[in-house]
Amino acid sequence: MKKIHSAILMLVLLAAAAGTAGAETLSGLQIMEKVYARPKGPDIQSELTMTLINSRGSKRVRTIRQFIKDYGADEKKIMFFVAPADVKNTSFMTWSYGNSSKADDMWIYLPALKKVKRISSESKSDYFMGSDFTYDDMGNRLPKDDTHKIIGEEKINGEDCYVVESTPKNPDYFYSRTVSWIVKGEWIGMKKEFYDEDGELLKTLTINSYKKVNGYWVITSMEMDNVQKNHKTIMELKDVKIGRGIRDSFFTERMMKRGIK
Amino acid sequence: MRQNRLITAGLALLLMFTGVSAVSAGNISFSGYVRNYTGILVDSDPLDYSQVQNTFDIKADYSGDMGDLHTEGFVYLDADNNLTAGIRELYADIYFNSLDLRIGKQQIIWGKGDGVFITDVVSPKDMSNFILPDFDEIRIGVTAAKADWYVGDFTLEGVWIPVFTPSVLPDSHSIWAVSMDFPAGMTPSIKSAGLPDPTFKNSEGFAKLSYMGSSFDVELIGGYMWDDTPVPHVTKFVPGMPPDVTVTPEYHRLSMAGGSFSTEILGVIFRGEGAYYDGNYFSIDPDNLQTDLIAGGDGTLQKNYLHYMAGMDYSVFGINLSAQFVQQVILDYDSRLKNDEYESTATFLAAKTFLNETLKVQFFGYYGINNGDALLRPSVSYSIADGLDVTAGSDIFMGDSGIFGQYNNNDMVYIKIKYSF
Repeated sequence: MKKIHSAILMLVLLAAAAGTAGAETLSGLQIMEKVYARPKGPDIQSELTMTLINSRGSKRVRTIRQFIKDYGADEKKIMFFVAPADVKNTSFMTWSYGNSSKADDMWIYLPALKKVKRISSESKSDYFMGSDFTYDDMGNRLPKDDTHKIIGEEKINGEDCYVVESTPKNPDYFYSRTVSWIVKGEWIGMKKEFYDEDGELLKTLTINSYKKVNGYWVITSMEMDNVQKNHKTIMELKDVKIGRGIRDSFFTERMMKRGIK
Repeated sequence: MRQNRLITAGLALLLMFTGVSAVSAGNISFSGYVRNYTGILVDSDPLDYSQVQNTFDIKADYSGDMGDLHTEGFVYLDADNNLTAGIRELYADIYFNSLDLRIGKQQIIWGKGDGVFITDVVSPKDMSNFILPDFDEIRIGVTAAKADWYVGDFTLEGVWIPVFTPSVLPDSHSIWAVSMDFPAGMTPSIKSAGLPDPTFKNSEGFAKLSYMGSSFDVELIGGYMWDDTPVPHVTKFVPGMPPDVTVTPEYHRLSMAGGSFSTEILGVIFRGEGAYYDGNYFSIDPDNLQTDLIAGGDGTLQKNYLHYMAGMDYSVFGINLSAQFVQQVILDYDSRLKNDEYESTATFLAAKTFLNETLKVQFFGYYGINNGDALLRPSVSYSIADGLDVTAGSDIFMGDSGIFGQYNNNDMVYIKIKYSF
């Protein structure tokens, strides 16, 4: 099961291809499947910047170069940490398996230890690099894992949206439900609310900007607000390249150790 | 001697900086850290410092089309203004389609164990401060030629070390010095260890075949090397005279073969590592030394041994947990030896972060099962700002004997402030 994906992949998957005919008759599941099934390109590379802002307004910045390659249902991703300085040259690799129950394979390379370690992929609820995004938030959760219901229609930033409530089939999932605002016809997720296990609003995800790159929708700026901790993360994508042809040999221990120069 | 070493290190650092400044600055990146590390021995009266150390560490990397150049230099300055400087690594990488070459002084790390050295025997260790420093400071770079050949998910690595580099042992006046035990009344005269001649015949060679793929990772390794620590050979000073002895530490050839693996099962990482060592020298127990010398022995016996580890990593409620069991078994055991036939150690790690990963609480412990001794290492780290961290912790030794219990009087608390750039 795919579990950890980059922000760009999440954004690309949240964005959706056109397809308006009969949209009014779609079910909640069909809407979320359109969001999930949107073509995302054979490979993606970008620079990801996360700005973490705490309740006092102080900022911390994390910068990552990431490379993702699509293998049909499967996917490989490698991330090179650029900043801050104390994590520079750390790298992180994931092989995800979409059409099977097999757990992701994940490795981390720590330059101080100079070795690649296999790590557990069972930490979906952990927050990524101290941000307000969990590993699961950054992945493309399968629509069949939730029960979806259209609970309304609203306009956001002038865009007509479906409002879809998604309730996990697994009662132990760390969100009790999520609510997504999906742009009609474009199938882009413009906003998402996450509710904790007690049913209280925990976080709100807001899309600030998105654009087409090489024919694929990519959201280039979004913000996750943790309303309970009064902490937020702004995630921005720069230098996005799609379909440049990343070699298979890029997703290996060799590249984790060598790093990106 | 020390002055010469400092001059050499200073020249090397100078060359490093002038060298890198000569090439295009656009392809060079610098990184490193500045750190103060101050520790207090809590059992001392009056309280004494175990460590007052200022560190400057700098790495410079130059990237070219075919490869990279890397160098890392360090300077340690203590409270008495004693300066130690050196080059931790200085090497060139050359990349081909499916082959990488790394030539120069480098740290080479093998194995799946954490905090233990089983198949991780290519780079020697600096044990001046026992195993307390960070591991990149414990490992000593070796001048070597390393080649990695990649075929799919397999990698074949070969390492040639032309000149042997030994581990650094604690100074005899250090709180980490390891005393050699002798029978009562026996007065040893201890010689210094002589290094093997720097000839081709005395070079070291290692090979590793590794697989990293879906489901599991595996390494198979072999090495023909020198034991990084010398073995004390004891001879009677004057036969028939009072029991004075001469101790001559010697380095010995050693062969090893082994492997390691890691895999994930139901969210738990399982790791294993093991090696067979052929022809290691072990010391005779002091109680049996006199008898051994009379019988013509030299206080040592050559034995083969196994060294292995099984470990697991798990995360629950955001707490990262890790446990390892490590055991050394001397084959064809002789009861006169100082080491036990089976020597077992367990390690345990628990770590959790708070406040968006700015606060980290960690506990790492070693427990020596044979002697009931332990080293407990709790610590708390806080990131004041990006790159600026402060760590407070303690190193607590428990027991009366054994590798940890021997330092029972060295319990300390410390604080480290580190700025990374």
